[in-house]
Amino acid sequence: MSKGYVKYHKKSDMGPNQRLRRRSVILILTILVAGFGAIISRLACLQLVQGTYLQEKAVEQQLTDTTINAKRGTIYDTNGKVLAQSASVWKVVLAPAYFETEEQRVSVAKDLAEILDLDESNVYEKTKQNSYYVIVKRKIESDTREEIIKLQEKIEKEYNLTNVVQLLDDYKRYYPHNDLASSVIGFTGSDDQGLEGVEYKYNKYLTGTPGRIVTAANANGTDMPFQYEQNVEAEEGNSIYLTIDETIQSICEKYMKQGLADNDVKNRGGCIAMDVDTGAVLAMVTVGGYDLNNPYKLSQEAQEKIDKLPEDEQDAATSEALSQMWRNKAISDTYYPGSVFKMVTASMALNEGVVNDNSTFFCSGSMTIADAKPIGCHLRSGHGTQTFTQAICNSCNPAFIQIGQLVGAEKFWQYYQGFGFSEKTGIDLPGESEDLFFSDNGEMTSVDLAVSSFGQGLAITPIQMITACAAVANGGNLVQPYVVRQIVNGEGNVIENTESKIKRQVISSGVSKKMNEILEYNTTTGGANNGYIAGYRVAGKTGTSEKLTSTYGSEDYIASFCGYAPADKPKIAMLVFFDTPTGGSYYGSKVSSPVFINIMSEVLPYLQIHTEYTDSEMQYVDANAGAYVGMDVDEAKTKAEQAGFTVTVKGEGSTVVSQIPAVSAKIPNGGNIVLYTDENSKSEKVLVPNLVGFSISEVNSLASNGGVNASISNVGASGNVVSVSQDIEPGTEVSPGTVITVKFASAEALND
Amino acid sequence: MTSLQSVVLKADINRIYDEKYREASAVKPKKHYARPEKKPKSRKNGWFIKGMGIDLPFLLIILVLLIIGMIMMFSASYPVAYYTQNDSYYYLKRQIVFAVIGVAAMLGLSFFNYNKLHKIAPFVLGLSYFSLVVVLFLPGVNGVHRWIGVGTFGIQASEITKFAIVLFFAHWGSKYYNKMQLAKYSILPGFIIFGTTAVLLILEPHFSCTVIVFILTVLMLYISGMRLKYIVLGAVGIAAAVGVLWATGGLGYAMTRMGGWGQALVYTNDQMWQETWQTRNSLYAIGSGGLWGLGLGQSRQKYLYLPEPQNDFVFAIVCEELGLIGAIIILLIFALLVWRGITLSLRAKDKFGKLLGIGLTAQIGLQVILNILVITDWLPNTGISLPFFSYGGSSLIMLLSQMGLVLSISRTANIEKQ
Repeated sequence: MSKGYVKYHKKSDMGPNQRLRRRSVILILTILVAGFGAIISRLACLQLVQGTYLQEKAVEQQLTDTTINAKRGTIYDTNGKVLAQSASVWKVVLAPAYFETEEQRVSVAKDLAEILDLDESNVYEKTKQNSYYVIVKRKIESDTREEIIKLQEKIEKEYNLTNVVQLLDDYKRYYPHNDLASSVIGFTGSDDQGLEGVEYKYNKYLTGTPGRIVTAANANGTDMPFQYEQNVEAEEGNSIYLTIDETIQSICEKYMKQGLADNDVKNRGGCIAMDVDTGAVLAMVTVGGYDLNNPYKLSQEAQEKIDKLPEDEQDAATSEALSQMWRNKAISDTYYPGSVFKMVTASMALNEGVVNDNSTFFCSGSMTIADAKPIGCHLRSGHGTQTFTQAICNSCNPAFIQIGQLVGAEKFWQYYQGFGFSEKTGIDLPGESEDLFFSDNGEMTSVDLAVSSFGQGLAITPIQMITACAAVANGGNLVQPYVVRQIVNGEGNVIENTESKIKRQVISSGVSKKMNEILEYNTTTGGANNGYIAGYRVAGKTGTSEKLTSTYGSEDYIASFCGYAPADKPKIAMLVFFDTPTGGSYYGSKVSSPVFINIMSEVLPYLQIHTEYTDSEMQYVDANAGAYVGMDVDEAKTKAEQAGFTVTVKGEGSTVVSQIPAVSAKIPNGGNIVLYTDENSKSEKVLVPNLVGFSISEVNSLASNGGVNASISNVGASGNVVSVSQDIEPGTEVSPGTVITVKFASAEALND
Repeated sequence: MTSLQSVVLKADINRIYDEKYREASAVKPKKHYARPEKKPKSRKNGWFIKGMGIDLPFLLIILVLLIIGMIMMFSASYPVAYYTQNDSYYYLKRQIVFAVIGVAAMLGLSFFNYNKLHKIAPFVLGLSYFSLVVVLFLPGVNGVHRWIGVGTFGIQASEITKFAIVLFFAHWGSKYYNKMQLAKYSILPGFIIFGTTAVLLILEPHFSCTVIVFILTVLMLYISGMRLKYIVLGAVGIAAAVGVLWATGGLGYAMTRMGGWGQALVYTNDQMWQETWQTRNSLYAIGSGGLWGLGLGQSRQKYLYLPEPQNDFVFAIVCEELGLIGAIIILLIFALLVWRGITLSLRAKDKFGKLLGIGLTAQIGLQVILNILVITDWLPNTGISLPFFSYGGSSLIMLLSQMGLVLSISRTANIEKQ
């Protein structure tokens, strides 16, 4: 107490009023300095330091955002032909929050359902939502758009509602070539996102940047009274140039389809054409593809099969069938390469120096390794003693078992890896599969080595096979295969260019050259069935491999042919394979070689690879008929005979009025040209003789006797050939001099 | 004992002096009502005796704040008025009516002899308690009982309470001015009055008003002469309590319970996100303003993002439209008001006038500070309006009436000076 008293006296010096004054000053200072100071610094912190963040957050909630879809980039083939393109369509959007009465909802729902061909009750449900953005229908075409615009006008007139039904830009993907290169191009989903193939793999390049219309809105989502609108233009996606050449692709697909039908192939087939030096894929076919404009439509056959299933299994079966249909067989399926792989085994052996021209291999028709079952050769009687080249041409399994043994398991595994079989090729397409070797570290038994030396027991993908083939052909370089050549932005500027990449050199260029000679010899001796094309130097190898699983019979086979041309300076390599042919034959030589030949015969001229005929080929080469119409008969006759043709004159006139074959038409060297001098004689007809089943000389004499020309096609430089088909049926009435193309095949074709 | 006796003696002398003074002033009451004779302006005090003898700068500050407040309230409220009342001027029209009534009351009260309130102060306090009790039995809004209403016009019981507290302690402090060193004249009544008020307010519940009443009680006792050690002890005690809460994690819990106080920008769960909606959008508004603001009328947050922008959160829209600069200018005007109000009150001849004037003025400063702490998420969102800015009839009229009393104090002081 006394302490307080003393204190009181001390302070009382200034008296009670001074104390009040002093305390008031302290109070003012406390309120103004501490209180106001605190709130001002708090405000400063919020408005200056955190201002940007808070403002962003505020703007985020104040602005409504309407996305404008960006136009997806175009996919071109290597020459700029359009393979996939986006075109303008529209989507119909409803802003049902603007509706005022039930009557409006019912009426608009009815009209919309009618125009858009939708269920009325569904549309009505949408009109009841309290929202400003409900998609009614996507991707409507311009004629439907016109009707919607009329409906908008009607709604505005009747109900004075302007924004209830809106049309927003959208895009739809079109594929002008339908099923062409379907497994490579792929397709897009409803949101324009790539789902398969290049569309999927390069989706981020193709999509572009969506634009936005940003408008300020209050918390209820309606527009604010103050003007705020910002448009960000949608940025068109990048366009892609493929390495695929539409012409080559079309040629491949045409003959692959034909091959599929001719051989009653059960499990589709594939074809890859590759530039041997760069790895650029010129064509990639999964035959039996699908229509990119309608990718969810199964083939009739598959659909019928599903329709027969119980209802609860149909969905699963449908999605299974779809994924099968979309599957790119050329990169997603693995198969035993069979005898085609012999080109790889042979390359190993040559590169390791374990064989040379003097090496011989004996074949008794079969060979026994360790305790296993004897491994048979396709020629049961055996090939006897063969040179290395003969072993390849004979496609002799026992010989290759011996070659494999010479190489040894360790080296075999090294080359297997070297040729890129143990890794994905890294092609820029989705869904590439991995190989299946006997073990992860390359260990293999003697039986494994034996079967793998002729391509059985190791499962690889077709793309791996063609890449390895390209390495054999191009001087030993393993290249990186690719399908996208260039990416170009909306303004046409190149933003990415694919450089061809050589992964490594697997075999020496000398060995490669040697292989080119051997494989060319193989096609030449084997004739048409081994891939021979007159005028071109083709190297290649057939293959017939047993499938691991058997679905359609006791044994299923994959018939393939892998080759390249020209053999002296390889440019294009191609692999053709058919999975489970069930027609007359399942051999690569019978099923795949003809397809290969047909394709190459058209592709090589297209690639401007010029023909070089050997002397023996020369006699079968066609010439072009000259122009004789309008000439004096004698003059025309002299001219035609000078060109090496024989001449038949029909009619009584003195001037040539017509000729067969027509100007520039193909006619065999030394063929017969018929010159007409009056119109009456043109009605004269001859019957086409049967030209199938004869030798070349027989065909020539039969044709000449019958008054027609025979164009000899697909004759090997050596070996026995026999005519197998003619393009005009025997017994058909034709004008004299008409050219009939006769195809020949080797009389003793390899069963491989 | 001697020391105690001498203290009592001294206090008695003081009281006797005060009473004599009051008697003396009662003898010639007319003097207070007399219009000052128009004299040539005295150089020294010329500013303060203008017009009707009230403090003109103070009146000017009030009117400036009232006009700025009105404009900003209108700017903040017109979208919400448009959307909810279908009339953009809905709140403005009403606020103008309230302001006219309030200004009339203010000017009227400036002629009122505030000393008449001295004796009835305990009665006013009792009346406010009565209204606080009555309000508990009236139907509330969402379980909150705050309004006493007749028809459309209602008044918040707590508005009366705040005034009653200031009035009572001005009465108490002036009566026992020289005994305030003693605990039983300072701490004891402080505890009793605050305790009673707090219980009634918490029953409403009205947390923010409880805080204001607490601070006002301490403030009034402090300027009346309560010994500093009690305040220091109290402050230490509160700090310790908060410290313990913080250490045990109870503070976070309490903040969460109080409407997600301090957590407006942090998403924890949907319910909390919803509860902190108003505070969060207040922060967005303040932050959007930046240094210079978006311009008068250009707020975006008022478009239904910030609920009830015309009420407690009007200053967030002010910050958005006028920026930090505008906010600081307005706060400086408030500071001027506080400074002017307190200094003019100090010129009153009697203790009651001084204490009452200081209390009423400080209450405004206090409410400004607390309001801005609420809208910036440093205090829980519990309903503290911003004087002159927030929409509301009863509080505006009450506020202007209180300002009328301060003007009355200034008038008396000015007249007495001459």
